Amino acid sequence: MPRYAGHFTICTPMKFSLAIYSAPHASQSAASALRFAKALLAGGHEIYRIFFYCDGVQNSNMIAAPPQDEADLISEWQALQQKHNLDLVVCIAAAQRRGVLSQREAHRLEKPVANLAEGFDLAGLGQLTDAVANSERLITFGG
Amino acid sequence: MTLHIVSKSPFSCQALHDCLQSLVEGDALLLIEDGVYALQHQALQSLQETRIYCLTADSEARGLQTSSAPDSVEIIDDTRWVQLCTEHNPIVSWFR
Amino acid sequence: MSNRTLALCRAAPYGSALAREGIEAVLASAAMEQDIDLLFLGDGIFQLLDNQAPEAIGQKSLRRNLKALPMFGVEELYVCQSSLEERGILPEQIQIPGAEVTLVEKPGELIAAYQCVLSF
Repeated sequence: MPRYAGHFTICTPMKFSLAIYSAPHASQSAASALRFAKALLAGGHEIYRIFFYCDGVQNSNMIAAPPQDEADLISEWQALQQKHNLDLVVCIAAAQRRGVLSQREAHRLEKPVANLAEGFDLAGLGQLTDAVANSERLITFGG
Repeated sequence: MTLHIVSKSPFSCQALHDCLQSLVEGDALLLIEDGVYALQHQALQSLQETRIYCLTADSEARGLQTSSAPDSVEIIDDTRWVQLCTEHNPIVSWFR
Repeated sequence: MSNRTLALCRAAPYGSALAREGIEAVLASAAMEQDIDLLFLGDGIFQLLDNQAPEAIGQKSLRRNLKALPMFGVEELYVCQSSLEERGILPEQIQIPGAEVTLVEKPGELIAAYQCVLSF
């Protein structure tokens, strides 16, 4: 039900989750997701979780180094995470395949680099299922 | 009612085609990213009963003239995008 | 809280990773005993085709993953009828043992019955 504040109609805050399948710089999709997330938060809605899957795991690759005059999505996700205490979850299986590892995973798999950016957590696909179960809306950003 | 979000051009991808196969009366269609090129596609003309929205940031980025779009198309900003998502469920993304 | 979920599978197998990662997400969900159904539409119906032999291209059979679905309680598979007809595929070519394939004439009406749609 809408609430009324002065002459504005304000939507009741809702709990959203986003699933992101695309790498930054490869397509527009991850940037769209970021814009949408900002608009959600500006509208007073809650983001229960952002789940990075498929090539979307590259949004958490901290050794990506885009030119200075281009958007840096990884930093933008981190800033948004800090400001709103977002739950940014990266699928561990998808991340291992594509070379995004936490310190712990790098050590366990005997790889020379750990590159999971701060503010992101590696976890299993169960976290996507959990997000579906606990959100009123889930939106997929793929392609 | 379902919100369908199409993000690929109908001239190179099945996204809009598959989406239109899955539209039912009362559903809404939102064009984002390369999906906004559907404004130039005849498929939209036949959708008299469907509310069609187009994200202004994406159509402007691409230099598309929204003035020549069918009357049934509403040009929207990101705030309205969020609102559409609260008003509809489920939300289906067509991105390939 | 529980949300009735539909996985919308539109990707052909092998050419991209999306079909496989989609089915993996579905299996993970089913393993957690969440209600999840599958709708194969567009090129997604090619995932179901029998006689897949992807060994020579260095890939694991996706159909093997699909065959695991009934073991996780997913026993009904929805398939878009017009996608099938457009591609000249017969229903007998897309059967999965232990699962019932239901041809859907109006996929939109099926989609509308769910609270959440995961697109793959």
